Amino acid sequence: MVRYLIKKISYAFLVLISVIVLISSIIYLSPVDPAQLTFGQRQDIATVESKKKALGLDQPLYIQLALYLNDVSPISIHHNTPSNATKYNYLRLLPLGKKVLVLKVPHLRESFQSGKPVIHILKTAIPRTAILALTAIILALIVGVVLGVLAALNQNTWLDNLAVVVSVLGYSLPSYVTAMILGFVFAYYLGDYTHLNIKGGLTELNDMGDEVIVWKNLLLPTLALGIRPIGIITQLTRSAMLDVLKQDYIRTAKAKGLGKWTVNFRHALRNALNPVATATTGWFASLLAGAFFVEFVFSYNGLGLETINALKTYDLPVVLGTVIFVALAFSIINIVVDFLYVLLDPRIRLTTA
Amino acid sequence: MPTFMEQAKKNSSKLLEVIDLETHFHTEEGVVKAVNKINFTLYRGETIGIVGESGSGKSVTSLSIMQLIQSPPGKIVGGKILYYPENQASPIDLLTLNDKSMQQYRGNEIAMIFQEPMTSLNPVFKCGSQVIEAIMLHQKVNKAEAKQRTLELFERVKLPDPERIYNAYPHQISGGQKQRVMIAMALSCNPSILIADEPTTALDVTVQKRILELMDELKKKIQAAVIFITHDLGVIAEIADRVLVMFKGQIVEQGMVREIFTTPQHPYTKGLLACRPPLDYRMSKLPTVSDFMDIEYIDDHFKIKEKIIPKGSLIENFKVTPEATQQRLQQLQTQKPILEVKNLNTWFPMKKNFFGKPTAYLKAVDDVSFKVYPGETLGLVGESGCGKTTLGRTILRLIPAHSGEVIFNGHHLFELSDKALKNIRKEMQIIFQDPYASLNPRMTIGNAILEPMNVHRILDNRKQRIEKVMELLEIVNLEAKHFNRYPHEFSGGQRQRICIARALALNPKFIICDESVSALDVSVQAQVLNLLIRLREQFQFTYIFISHDLSVVKFISDRMIVMNKGKIEEIGTADEIYNHPQKAYTQKLISAIPNPTF
Repeated sequence: MVRYLIKKISYAFLVLISVIVLISSIIYLSPVDPAQLTFGQRQDIATVESKKKALGLDQPLYIQLALYLNDVSPISIHHNTPSNATKYNYLRLLPLGKKVLVLKVPHLRESFQSGKPVIHILKTAIPRTAILALTAIILALIVGVVLGVLAALNQNTWLDNLAVVVSVLGYSLPSYVTAMILGFVFAYYLGDYTHLNIKGGLTELNDMGDEVIVWKNLLLPTLALGIRPIGIITQLTRSAMLDVLKQDYIRTAKAKGLGKWTVNFRHALRNALNPVATATTGWFASLLAGAFFVEFVFSYNGLGLETINALKTYDLPVVLGTVIFVALAFSIINIVVDFLYVLLDPRIRLTTA
Repeated sequence: MPTFMEQAKKNSSKLLEVIDLETHFHTEEGVVKAVNKINFTLYRGETIGIVGESGSGKSVTSLSIMQLIQSPPGKIVGGKILYYPENQASPIDLLTLNDKSMQQYRGNEIAMIFQEPMTSLNPVFKCGSQVIEAIMLHQKVNKAEAKQRTLELFERVKLPDPERIYNAYPHQISGGQKQRVMIAMALSCNPSILIADEPTTALDVTVQKRILELMDELKKKIQAAVIFITHDLGVIAEIADRVLVMFKGQIVEQGMVREIFTTPQHPYTKGLLACRPPLDYRMSKLPTVSDFMDIEYIDDHFKIKEKIIPKGSLIENFKVTPEATQQRLQQLQTQKPILEVKNLNTWFPMKKNFFGKPTAYLKAVDDVSFKVYPGETLGLVGESGCGKTTLGRTILRLIPAHSGEVIFNGHHLFELSDKALKNIRKEMQIIFQDPYASLNPRMTIGNAILEPMNVHRILDNRKQRIEKVMELLEIVNLEAKHFNRYPHEFSGGQRQRICIARALALNPKFIICDESVSALDVSVQAQVLNLLIRLREQFQFTYIFISHDLSVVKFISDRMIVMNKGKIEEIGTADEIYNHPQKAYTQKLISAIPNPTF
């Protein structure tokens, strides 16, 4: 078990490093100069060059990468200066001449554009996206399992066919298309009745300049984001349920004289939910990432909108920060899924084969 | 024959009466009359056995009584199932009950044990909770009381350490133990009828023996009537009082077990009894059901025509004298061995250290050495998990060996390059157990047989290869016109013959039959065994015949090896081992074979 965990964590570590290298290289190799973009229309070469130097963008790629990784790594080596001490807020571990080996909170640098620390940007954006993804997955789970079970128990009836058609439609539509359709219908055409906004974040500034939570802005993004997982969970529940209902132990349960309800729900659904639960957890990770487009369409002020805006201006630290977070979330959730398998199915034990 | 008085007494204690029961299945090919107007009566305290081959309707009969037929496609279309409750004058027709009322009978009055203990328990619930569920449902007791009863039941079905089993998940206990849990579950509400549908078929013979002993003991204690369904006549003889023989949805013969075995009336029963491999003498081939009868189909009916056989001649004609056996053995062993296995080990890693280096092994094949002579059939027998299948596959290099040598026709197989191995593989073929899984459903059987010939470039062109396939089909008693048909159009026995034809396509010298007849009905098994013997005579094949069934191995083999826990327990001529087993394990194996003597 411990070996298994160590192996998985080292994989996750490799994934994170590869993601950082890949994203940095793409931005480095692109013809656009991020330093230039921090100024508006007016700029002169000298200021841009000095800005470039300040941001470290004049260095070759491998040095930029090494410095960034050193900043992000919780255990790193820095010049032992008072300014570094306040910048990184580190704990000295081992002095190495002029330098020092330190333990610190990962330093994600500051936005090129706003100069705000990336960590602060993440701290405000992540909860908004997490709430969106969570409500979407809960919605998908409830609707999907109910539809799936109904379809399986009424196989080959109109109900079953309807559920299948709806779910195929659901997962065939990309989420940004659904988002646009939903926004157009419910916030634009029916906006007078629904009072929903076509654009709006979870938090907005009110007239007094305070930040308030606007729950109704969560509704349409949740629907748009949830429709694909609804389709998939419906299909998954339906086929798992049909498969389980054919098993010998269901016949045993019936032979015991158990009623329909106990057989279908206690004995069958409990088994059918194993693949559903693990798939759903896996989907949660992709929803965190998939929210990007939906957030963009609704201007929902979460992680996705932040990333897309950062991409427009080649704001490398912000892009890297969000991507690192998503990659980390994926890795952690994947490990959680593996443990969930063990928890749900007593037959499975974790081994590294 | 029971006396008149006995009969009269029995009539007064009828328990279940099945009248004109008809169960149909609606399939794409039309209506299948799985159970076609059958009549029988079950009396209190008796055990009736229902025998028949797959598709005879025996399981459908039991599921019809429980009303557990999957619908669609199945449906009970006619008849009555009368249940006579104790102290109640009039019987109840179970077929008129709605599902809700039927639930009161299921598990409570009529309990059932199924064939597959491996899959019949719900994998996500502990064994104990699956039993108390039934008790709490029907007996209206609280959980503590139900647990107490469950532990008592586990004690009664002789499960070791009931408390541990109570808290174990099904995958944590052995197949035999699972079947005991199933039996405990079935007995939990003191049913008056216990239906056991092939309860021992999936188990090893030694485990089967213990389960049968347990059931025999229990049925005396519990006073329940038992309906015991099996394809194995040997098992029926050990447990049943009365036997019903089913064939294509009908009961063709019923009577006391002794009558059925000593003076069978119906040609099908006669055939079924005769086609089992005999244990006390050697035969050159087995009689088959078709030696006893012909079936004539008229529309959806069939008529059985008995063939006239000169008395006793069938078996007598096929008998082989011990002298002839001796002569054949001597003649075989004067030759140079075609296959030599020296100190072969196949180990599977069980535990690995941090760097993935194995630290403990499961020794599936543990220091095994033997020789096989050209034209010989070497039987390999043992219980599940003894390493017989692994041994067969290691010889063919389908599984890598840990150490040891295999020399085939002078070639050291483990030292050959992949290319050289491919050439040798032509001469060594394997026929697997499951004829359903080993044929690609989307490939016509002709192409399936053609494929290995294309790979190995046997013959010059496609035309010649196709001709060869047609020839092979005829060799295995199929027809050339079957070339373009798909596997689903064939029965299990036919499919196994197709697999044999495919193995023959490369003109092999040496064939490993891995449980090749285990999934087949006895009558079909006899046909396939006869075919293997004919091919051995015709083409001088050498076989390694792997099976868990000692009677089949004894029938076909010249010499045999008994394997246990990866090691060779005993090796010798088939008769020697059967008649004078030296090791305790072999003796246990032989004594566990159900062998009715009347």
